[in-house]
Amino acid sequence: MSHALQLRSFLRSGIHRIGEIEIQSNIYGYPYVLCHHADADLSTEPAFGGLDLHEGPADARDLSTYSEDGTYRFTKGQVNLIRGWVMALENEDDLLRALDQFYPACVGLFLAQQGGVLEIETLREKLNRQTGMYRFARSISDAGAQKLVQEVCGPAHQCAKKILWKIDPATPLDDSEASRFNGIPGDLPESEAIPLLCREACNHFVAECRKVAKAEFEQKQANA
Amino acid sequence: MSIAPKPNCALLIVGHGSTENPDSSTPYFDHADEIRRRGLFSEVHCCFWKEEPSMREAFYLLDADEIYVVPDFISEGYFTQDVIPRELGLTGPTTQVRGKTFHYCLPVGVHSSMTGLILRRAQDVAPDIDPAQTTLIITGHGTGLNQNSTKAIRDQVDQIIASGAGYAAVTDAYMEEQPFIAEWDKMSETPNVVVVPFFISDGLHSYQDIPVMLGIESEVGSAASQREVFRHNPHHLRGKTLYYSSAIGTERMLADVILDQVHDFDQTHKAL
Repeated sequence: MSHALQLRSFLRSGIHRIGEIEIQSNIYGYPYVLCHHADADLSTEPAFGGLDLHEGPADARDLSTYSEDGTYRFTKGQVNLIRGWVMALENEDDLLRALDQFYPACVGLFLAQQGGVLEIETLREKLNRQTGMYRFARSISDAGAQKLVQEVCGPAHQCAKKILWKIDPATPLDDSEASRFNGIPGDLPESEAIPLLCREACNHFVAECRKVAKAEFEQKQANA
Repeated sequence: MSIAPKPNCALLIVGHGSTENPDSSTPYFDHADEIRRRGLFSEVHCCFWKEEPSMREAFYLLDADEIYVVPDFISEGYFTQDVIPRELGLTGPTTQVRGKTFHYCLPVGVHSSMTGLILRRAQDVAPDIDPAQTTLIITGHGTGLNQNSTKAIRDQVDQIIASGAGYAAVTDAYMEEQPFIAEWDKMSETPNVVVVPFFISDGLHSYQDIPVMLGIESEVGSAASQREVFRHNPHHLRGKTLYYSSAIGTERMLADVILDQVHDFDQTHKAL
């Protein structure tokens, strides 16, 4: 079954949220309507409650590029999606295209996880593949990486993804709010949302690893 | 060149991307939109080294069982020969990966049709000047790490000279290796100089670094899309008239070059 049809099936089973986006069905003749979940009440009012209407998936990338304060959202798992818009979509294919712009590959990752075929990559695998200036990131200590997860990841640090990876196959993440987070921002039962899944550390995390690795190296030099 | 529709195939456009500059990935999405509009593939996706979705995440975007992978890169080099094959698990022109068939095409920058795009871009940015009084400089990054990174540009220089476009001189120049783009005036004997950046996007290098090297800007500015005031040609600098274009990869016709590479792949690797 195609991704679009699997998505439709999940929506019919009661799922209506992914990340900060509310997915509504059959509003004013549109099969699917997306909006920021905090605007969901407005979106069902006449004329979409004054929200800016975007027909079709084409504007999804622009809507998700910057936060309200103009910051570049370099990872789309950030919980700072702008409000004030509504996106009307004609079918499941357009819905999937829009969601793949708002949350790249997240529907596919979820479907793969449900099907038991999602491959997860440890932090060490990710760091060992870095090149150029990021090569140095691989020298970060396990303790440094564990601490960094708690300082960079999770909703307290603006990322709503559920971390699936370990430091290495034998080293799971230390228990913390970040490592426990289920990938569903807001207070919603897991049966009602597609979680945002983090199958590999993002490039922002890698860049932070490099900074910590350098600091650790300099500390060692200073202590030598 | 047009290609026959491939309704059972996906197209995967691979780019570098950036965690700092949103303009970096804009051309890739533009090219994907353009190709999607033509309805040639069942799916068209982008994936990146430094943005989401990553190349490894891209596998989970794909419904189709047959996928054409086109690196939207400017040259054959480290990324197209090492990083992309490793990330996608490709071992040759065609590879089976977890039940799917991947065809790995050449990067857009090495296709011969890039020559026409450069000439068009040079014409667009300086439509009223006499080529016989003009030096055309194609500029790229350059790196001591891989000789292929400059080969694509040198090949284009040769092809433009051979094309009879009429420029008094056509030359290559680089940010980080000789001949340096910062010395553009010294390598030009003509009163007019047109500089075309051989980059995919108007990211850090073409929009922020090179303008400083040319002398158009005194310091590195903000990202292209965040500029209130865009640069205006021509620039009267160092006794010459300088025209600076946006990156060649932002050319809308680059979507055709992506399709050209798919076409060429089939011609080269698939039995008719």
